[in-house]
Amino acid sequence: MEESLMQIKNSAVSMIIEAEDQKELEEIKLQFLGRSGKLTLAMKGITKLPTGDRREVGQLANEVKRVLEESINERSNSLKTQESKKRREKIDITNPGVRPDIGHIHPMSQVLYEVVDVFKGIGFQAADGPEIETDHYNFEMLNIPSDHPARDTQQTLYLDTRQSKVTPGEIILRTQTSSMQGRIMEKVKPPIRIVVPGKNFRYEQVDASHGFEFWQVEGFVVDSNVRLTDLFGTIEYVLKKLMGEKTKIKFATTNFPFVEPGVDTYISCTVCNGRGCSFCKYSTWSEIMPAGMIHPNVLKAVGYDHQKVAGFAFAIGLSRLVTLRYQMDDLRLLTNPDLRILEQF
Amino acid sequence: MLAPLSWLKEFVDITLTSGELGEKLTEIGLGVERITRVDNDTIFEFEITPNRPDLLSIIGIAREIAAIEGKRIKSKSYEIKVSHATTLPIKLNPNYKLFHRWTGISIANVSIKPSPQFIKDRLIKIGLRPINNVIDITNYVMFELGVPLHAFDYDEIKGHEMTVDLAKGGEKFTSVDEKSYHLPKDAIIIKDNERLIDLAGIKGGLNSGVSGKTKNVFLHVTIANPMLIRRASIALSLRSDASAIYERGTNKGGTIDTLKRAATLIQEHADGKIASHLFDLKNQEFKPWKLALRISRLNQIIGIKIDEKKIIDILDSLNLNPHVVLSKQSASKDLILIECTIPTYRNDLKIEEDLIEEVARLYGYNNFPKTMPVGEIPTKRVPYFKDFNMEENAKSILTASGFSEIYTYSLVGEDDLKSFNIKSENCIRVDNPVSREFEYLRPTLKTNLLKALRLNMPNFKNINLFELGKVYIGKHLDNVKEQYFLAGITNVKNYFEVKGTIEQLLEDLGVKLDPTKYIEVLDEGIFFELNFSEILPLVSLNKKFKPLPKYPPIIEDMAIVANASVKTDEIIKEIKNQNSLIVNVSLLDSFEESRTFHVVYQDPQKNLTTAEVSKIREKIINNLREKFKVTLKE
Repeated sequence: MEESLMQIKNSAVSMIIEAEDQKELEEIKLQFLGRSGKLTLAMKGITKLPTGDRREVGQLANEVKRVLEESINERSNSLKTQESKKRREKIDITNPGVRPDIGHIHPMSQVLYEVVDVFKGIGFQAADGPEIETDHYNFEMLNIPSDHPARDTQQTLYLDTRQSKVTPGEIILRTQTSSMQGRIMEKVKPPIRIVVPGKNFRYEQVDASHGFEFWQVEGFVVDSNVRLTDLFGTIEYVLKKLMGEKTKIKFATTNFPFVEPGVDTYISCTVCNGRGCSFCKYSTWSEIMPAGMIHPNVLKAVGYDHQKVAGFAFAIGLSRLVTLRYQMDDLRLLTNPDLRILEQF
Repeated sequence: MLAPLSWLKEFVDITLTSGELGEKLTEIGLGVERITRVDNDTIFEFEITPNRPDLLSIIGIAREIAAIEGKRIKSKSYEIKVSHATTLPIKLNPNYKLFHRWTGISIANVSIKPSPQFIKDRLIKIGLRPINNVIDITNYVMFELGVPLHAFDYDEIKGHEMTVDLAKGGEKFTSVDEKSYHLPKDAIIIKDNERLIDLAGIKGGLNSGVSGKTKNVFLHVTIANPMLIRRASIALSLRSDASAIYERGTNKGGTIDTLKRAATLIQEHADGKIASHLFDLKNQEFKPWKLALRISRLNQIIGIKIDEKKIIDILDSLNLNPHVVLSKQSASKDLILIECTIPTYRNDLKIEEDLIEEVARLYGYNNFPKTMPVGEIPTKRVPYFKDFNMEENAKSILTASGFSEIYTYSLVGEDDLKSFNIKSENCIRVDNPVSREFEYLRPTLKTNLLKALRLNMPNFKNINLFELGKVYIGKHLDNVKEQYFLAGITNVKNYFEVKGTIEQLLEDLGVKLDPTKYIEVLDEGIFFELNFSEILPLVSLNKKFKPLPKYPPIIEDMAIVANASVKTDEIIKEIKNQNSLIVNVSLLDSFEESRTFHVVYQDPQKNLTTAEVSKIREKIINNLREKFKVTLKE
């Protein structure tokens, strides 16, 4: 009896080890451990043995059963690993992934929202105003009376006034978001911290760095103790946040009738990295943000006491900032709806 | 403005290299556009801001360089021997509203010939064409000293009498460069006894100009009314070097020096003799003026304390003659003022803030420390407030649905409008468009979106685009409204996919509106357009958490046969209306006349029994049968 048990064990174990898949292993299991399997039948035969032998043979039979079960489990696990490995080898995982069909937010919006967020972080609120604007808010309130030579730098698109009660020249397409300074300041008292993003229009021939429609983000701060150093600090903080810590920034004197002192801001041209290109007119610097301390005449026009409050204002050339950010060499790329451009963002 | 280094060096010693000089001049306000090297000389090209007429001259630029270099300008004075016996008399009839000042002199027996080489060379370097010695000298002196002047052929001034006047409009005028103009009303003109001889401040007349035949000249320097010059030159689209200076406001105190300088050169290089006394017609004196700067105010505005000596040095380097003055504020407190005397060529310096800029720009903007505003952060919502998060929310749903964002021009052409049967009379028109393609403000985003779709067709099969931008609604300026529209176009998605996108969008914004009214089926695809400005006030983002149901729902599908005229939406509403325990009804499937609805029953308080549900179901079926004549499909 013992001998036949050992034979069962040996032949079963060798079959188990050689089993090539789960199915074969299942068959082997049935063949030995099934209801009429060899081991099962052998174990039933133990009852026919003399009582004295039963105990010893019974123990051996249980031991054989345990070994077979363990071997089957072990083999089964190793087969599973092998199979999954084989399965993996069948697909080429270097094939491209199947991408979800999602669209792209325009780079202008991406930068715009970032700009608004950066300013929110330093206490600014965002506002929005009309593009069809009056000469009053676009020029007069900003210390640019009708015969001022500064109007030459902002050639205006005039609107057809026929069929309306409007005097010709009175309503225009705004040339600058600074038009919102008067609109907002005449309605509230300082302290003020505001940014106004928006589109502007000028009579301008289109080229790589100019357009007749372009975006700006106007900003202004008015309070009892606003200083020129605050203007420098705010501009530097914002530009470094947007363009990276290493961005080089320089300031220069300029003149706009609505600021005094007047400041212009340049950042190192990212299109050519300082080698000189048509975008920066070979100066390696790109003008990005005219600014200055708000002119007393503007403060007076909105009813503020310019001896008691001061302010600074700036206008970020948003369209230009976007092109510099992504090293695009032409402003016109921003209004080109070609998906080959849009998909890059 | 072009300025040769060699010419500048006549007025100031320069130690900085051209590169350094360019950087520094840009920092203080003389923006350098380009530096070029020509024949052992360096030419600077500057962009001059509208407030600085003085910088349209070599001496003006030299003064700024002197301030940077900490040097004095080498100013020259020119004396002329004024004739006691007037051999070339002239009568001038002034009008002080038109010419604030009129300075002139006659010079006899000039010999007209080419200019000496140094004058020719310098004119060529600043972009002018040499003509003859007298004309070249007037140009040379204008660019050297920044005050325009003009030479007439004395013998062509009929009656030797000149009257300044305003044009009536329509007069014909031929300029010295032989171009004809019809003058606008209120251009300043000079007439002699017979004819119009000068378009003052802009261009001289051909009939009275200096030519090869000229023997005697009348040389004058005028201070013309800047506003009138500007209006006339805009009306004529005629800008001259002189009009650029006049518009900005000429140095009213500089006429005599300018005249003397030119007369000296004419005597030297054209052999002329002074032949009249020096006319100087004015009805007021044009003297330097006083302007005070409070040191406390300066420090407060610029944010740093600059010591008094440094402030004085800076103002002095600009020839502003600063003096410290103590002004009694109260018994115990004196206010320190710096009183400046402003030379007449700096008519941009009118208020204290102008002096603050002078100190700040020469201190060097890039030498300032940087601070952040220290005041209170305003928390009250500002007028014209805009919540950009709303835009971002809407756009993220559209991009998640596969749409890509575009930015297009607000200005469109008449052809664009016509192709959509939009009448251009119903749109706002620009009077002076940059081109016919950009003449009207768009009343819809459709034209640009469809053009964008077509543009992409050669490269893409599947195109989904959207734009969130302003449109301008109204026939004319009395009733025009600017509104943000959100519109999209797709040649991939079907009607229900577009509808679903808008449903999702509206749901996320908490707005209950029918999406179908925004959708339009075009030949090229499906288009949608929403008035985003009108939706914004309806937005409600106050989301409130609903606890998960404690008891399981009972779900059943109900297949019915109904006439196609009965809308799915009506059936769903009808089913929902039957009992509050019906928490959701949706269309599962439809085939020919039959539609299968998925009905969810749920009681928040307890487990529903099948008996309860079957009662409700019976009510539903009876109602649908009665109302819509539907039959239940087995």
